[in-house]
Amino acid sequence: MEQLTEVKRKRRSKFESKRTWTGILFLIPCTILVVMFIVVPVINVVRYSFNEVSLADASDVTFVGLDNYKAVPQTEGFTEMIIATIVFALGVTIVVVGLAFIVALALDKRGRGRINRGFMRSLWFFPALLSAAIVGILWRIMYHYTNGVINKSIQALGGERVNWLETPWLTNGAVIIAAVWLLMGMAIVIFLAGLQSIPTSLYEAARIDGASKRQIRRNITIPMMAPAITINVLTISIAAFKMYELPWFISLGLPGYTTRLLTQRIYFYGFEATNLMGIGAALSVVLIIVITLISLIQLFVLRKREDIF
Amino acid sequence: MQKGKVKKIDTNTGGSKRKANRDGSLIGKILGEIGLLLGTIVVWIPIYYFIIGAFKERTDIVKFPLVMTFETMSFNNIIETIEKMDFFNALKNTGAITLGALLLVVAFGSIAGFALARIKRRGFKVYYGALIALMVVPFIGVLISLIRLTVTLNLYNTLWAGILIQAAWNLPFAVFLYTGFIRALPKELEEAAYVDGCSMFRVYFNIFLPLLAPVTATCLIRSGISIWNDYLLSLTVLNDSYTPTLMVAVQSFFGDRNSEYGLAFAGILLASLPIMIMFIFLQKYFIKGIAAGAVKG
Repeated sequence: MEQLTEVKRKRRSKFESKRTWTGILFLIPCTILVVMFIVVPVINVVRYSFNEVSLADASDVTFVGLDNYKAVPQTEGFTEMIIATIVFALGVTIVVVGLAFIVALALDKRGRGRINRGFMRSLWFFPALLSAAIVGILWRIMYHYTNGVINKSIQALGGERVNWLETPWLTNGAVIIAAVWLLMGMAIVIFLAGLQSIPTSLYEAARIDGASKRQIRRNITIPMMAPAITINVLTISIAAFKMYELPWFISLGLPGYTTRLLTQRIYFYGFEATNLMGIGAALSVVLIIVITLISLIQLFVLRKREDIF
Repeated sequence: MQKGKVKKIDTNTGGSKRKANRDGSLIGKILGEIGLLLGTIVVWIPIYYFIIGAFKERTDIVKFPLVMTFETMSFNNIIETIEKMDFFNALKNTGAITLGALLLVVAFGSIAGFALARIKRRGFKVYYGALIALMVVPFIGVLISLIRLTVTLNLYNTLWAGILIQAAWNLPFAVFLYTGFIRALPKELEEAAYVDGCSMFRVYFNIFLPLLAPVTATCLIRSGISIWNDYLLSLTVLNDSYTPTLMVAVQSFFGDRNSEYGLAFAGILLASLPIMIMFIFLQKYFIKGIAAGAVKG
C-alpha cells in the first residue's frame, strides 16, 4: 500500500516537473522579445545617462558620472519645459476626467425618448481611434490663424480672430484641447463600465428610502465610481506625460519654449542635437521615474480598494 | 398588514413632492439631452471637417469650411494623395508591421498566458509580476537606446524591426489579458486530458485555443489600433524613404505641402479609413476591449 502511494507520488512529481518544463518552454518566445526590446533598452538608457556616448560608435562610451544630469537644468528653456509639461499633464487630466465623467453620466441613463445610447457612445468614442500624429496635423490646420475652421467660425459668429498658435500660454490651452479630444473617448468608456458595475439594487434601495437625485449622486454614484476615477486620473496623466507627436505637430514647441514638453526635449537631444545624447538619456530616465511613480500610486490606491475591483 | 399600511401612507405623503420633482426634471431631462447632442456635434466637427475636406478643393475648404455640396465635390485630392504619398507602399508597410506583430503577440502571448495561468509555481508568479511591471515603461523613454540596438542587431530600416519591437511592446498587456482569461476557465477542462496522457502542447492546441476567441479579439483590437496608429517608432526605425508607414507618410507629405489642406485631409482619411471601417462593424468588441483592459489594468 505504502509503496503504491510512493509510486503515485513519484509519477505525480514527474508529471509536475514535465509540466513545469513545458511551461518554461512556453515562456521562452515571449521572454526573448521582451528582454531584447524592453529590458535591455531600459538598462542601456540608464547606462547612457551616466556616460558620454559617441553618435558614430555605440561601443565608444566614457563614464561621466552625474554630468548629464547636472547639465539638464542648464539647458535652454528648462524652466519652460517643466512648467509646460506639468501644465499639459495636469490640464489634460483634469479636463478629460471632469468632462468624461459628465458625459458618461449623461450617456448612462436609459429610458424612453432618448437617443440610442450605444450609438451615442460610439460617436463619443470615435476620436480615440485616430492616430495622435494625425490628430496633431488635423488640429494644427483647424487652429490656423486665417484659414482654420475655428477662427472662421468665430468670425462668422461676429467675434475676433484668436491667434491660437502664437500666443504664449494660450497655445498651451489649444494643445490641451486637442489632447482632450483624443483621450476623452477612452475615459468615457471606462467610466461607463464603472457606472454599469454599480448594482441597481443600491439605487432602488435609496429611492425607496426617499433619497433625492442629488443625494443619490453624492452618496452612491460618486463613491462607487471612486475606483474608475482613480484609474482614469492615473492612465490619462500617464498618457499625457508620454505624449509626443500630438502637441509637437500642433505647436512645434512654439512660441519660444512655452509648449515644449519633456518628451519633445528627449527626442531633440536624442536624435536632433549633435552629441548631446547623454542629456536625452538623462531626461528619459527622469520620464521613466515620473511614470513609474504615478503607476505605483495607482497600484497602492487600487490595492486599498481591492474589495470593489 | 400593519406594516404595509404604514408604508403606503409614507409614500403618499412624499408623493406630491416627488411628482413635482419629476416634472421639474423633465425640463432637466430635455436640457440634458440637448446638451449632450450639442456636445456630440462639437466633438464631431473635426471629423466632419476633415472627411468633407478630403473631397473639396482648397479654396472651398478655406471659404466654406463646414459646407458640402455636390457641385464642389471632387476626388482630385484623393487621387493626387494616393499618387504623391505613395499610398499603397505605405499601406503595405503599415499592414505588414501590424499583421506580423499581431501574429507574434497572439501566438506568444497566448502560450505564455496559458503557462502562467496554469502552473502554480513561485517562479511563474514572479515572472508574471515582472512582466506586468514592464507595462509601465514609456516607449519614448527608451527610444534612444532602442534605435541603437536595432543598428547593432542589423535591423535598422527593416520592417522586421517594426514587427519585433511592436510585438515586444504589446506582449506584456496581451499576456496579462490571456492569463486573466485562462485563470477564469474551469480546471476540469483539461484534467481529463492530462489523465489520458495528453501533453501540455496538445491540451493547449486542442482544448484552449478554440476557447480563446473572445480574449484574442480584445487583444487584436487593442494592439491593432496602437500598432496601426504608431508614429514614433516608424519615424525613427524606418526613416528610409522607401519604408515609411502610413502615419509617417501623411506627416512628411503634409510637412512638404503645408497649405494644401485638401491633400492633408485626404491623407488623414486614407490612413485612418481601415480602422474606422473596422470600428463601424465591430463597435461592441472595440468598446468592450478598451473597457476590459482598463478596468483590470
